Amino acid sequence: MVRAALTGRHRIGREPAPYAPYVPAASVVVASLVAALPIISASGWYPDFGFLVLIGWRLLRADPWPAWWAAPLGLINDLFTGYPIGFSVVLWSASMLALDLIDRRTMWRDYWTEWLLAAVLVAIDQWLQWRIAAMTGARLPYFTIVPPLVISICVFPVVAWVVSRIDAWRLRR
Amino acid sequence: MATARPGWSRRAQYGLFFSFLAVIAGIVVGVILLTLSLVAPKTFNGVRGAALDVTAPITGALHEVAATAGGMFSGAGNYWDAANQNAKLKRERQAMLHRMVEAKAIFQENRQLKATLQLREREQNTLAVGRIVGSSFNSPRRFAILSTGSTDGVRIGMPVRSPDGLVGRIIDVGALASRVLLVSDRANIVPARLLRGGIPVISQGRGDGTIDVRPLEVGRNPFKRGDIIISSGTGGLYPPLVPIARVVKLDDDGAIALPLADPANTSFAMVQPPFEPAAVAAESVLTPESP
Repeated sequence: MVRAALTGRHRIGREPAPYAPYVPAASVVVASLVAALPIISASGWYPDFGFLVLIGWRLLRADPWPAWWAAPLGLINDLFTGYPIGFSVVLWSASMLALDLIDRRTMWRDYWTEWLLAAVLVAIDQWLQWRIAAMTGARLPYFTIVPPLVISICVFPVVAWVVSRIDAWRLRR
Repeated sequence: MATARPGWSRRAQYGLFFSFLAVIAGIVVGVILLTLSLVAPKTFNGVRGAALDVTAPITGALHEVAATAGGMFSGAGNYWDAANQNAKLKRERQAMLHRMVEAKAIFQENRQLKATLQLREREQNTLAVGRIVGSSFNSPRRFAILSTGSTDGVRIGMPVRSPDGLVGRIIDVGALASRVLLVSDRANIVPARLLRGGIPVISQGRGDGTIDVRPLEVGRNPFKRGDIIISSGTGGLYPPLVPIARVVKLDDDGAIALPLADPANTSFAMVQPPFEPAAVAAESVLTPESP
């Protein structure tokens, strides 16, 4: 409570915004909508923003949304980004489940653990995309997924920071 | 769902259990959807088209803004060193004039020869013109969003080209926008030939903005740096004589080429009907095409 004393002024009467429970899911949809920006990339090395924001929220809080929301959020991501329909539905739901199971096991956490978890999930994401591309006739060499993977892992801390700022804003901290 | 047991409350325990079930149901539904979209890619054409229509106005409007801003900078850049540029352009224009006269002569001769051969060729008419307003920037596949859709007569499978060269073919259609499989996608294989010598080659994307070109006949590597690859029209989908790419690097049995129609700099792209619709229809009956 020392910390609360330090933050000081105007603590009373500040409650979370009325729409606070929906902000996390809305921010994931907005991140999926980044695909609507006129970014024309020759290499496709941009990170999967929707997924990064999703795991950013889930690692920050255990219950940013009811866990099953991951499926419809994934469907929205599939529709906007042009992935095969169902890809993000599976991956996002499975990530929620995996993180829940991991939460039961881990005794403590720090930034490095979270970054490692995010890196593993992003690697699974990239690998699955590569597998599905191969199934639909675009068999690429394995090393082509390395640059986007490295970029995504490096971008994750930034996304996690943005998510924590949004969280502070929605809860009026 | 975070803790193993939410306490002694039966209600909370059931809630936890059912949310687990809901997530697993989500995974199952996702697997079904994914299997459907891999096995029967045409199932979701309607939904995908609708999603394209939702984002197309945003993408289009933002593209205008970005293009205007970019145009201002490059426009200002053009004034820099304008005198030198002017002189260079004049020289180039002079050279082009000579080439154009030659080309006209060749064109006339070609027409006469074709007339003697009684070779009939379908006139390639442009169905619709659109802008490339977006792309798949976060996946190993290379797609682009084109700002024209089924209201202009665009259908799945139609070839897309720009004044510079071949862009790709349509794979998803909405009412206002469509998705193009670029020539740099791994799954896009274009029958082509070398402009110099007419050696038949196969062009296949590499997924990173470049193209792999291989000769059809095994033997000596026919490519040289700077070679232009043009489409051959074999297969009936892509029209012949459309420039595709320029060779930039040789490797063991082929070469790596850069597409001439760079999607990032292509202002307009034209959608054309399939070159030989009958041939394409027959082929698509035999082999169900995957996106």
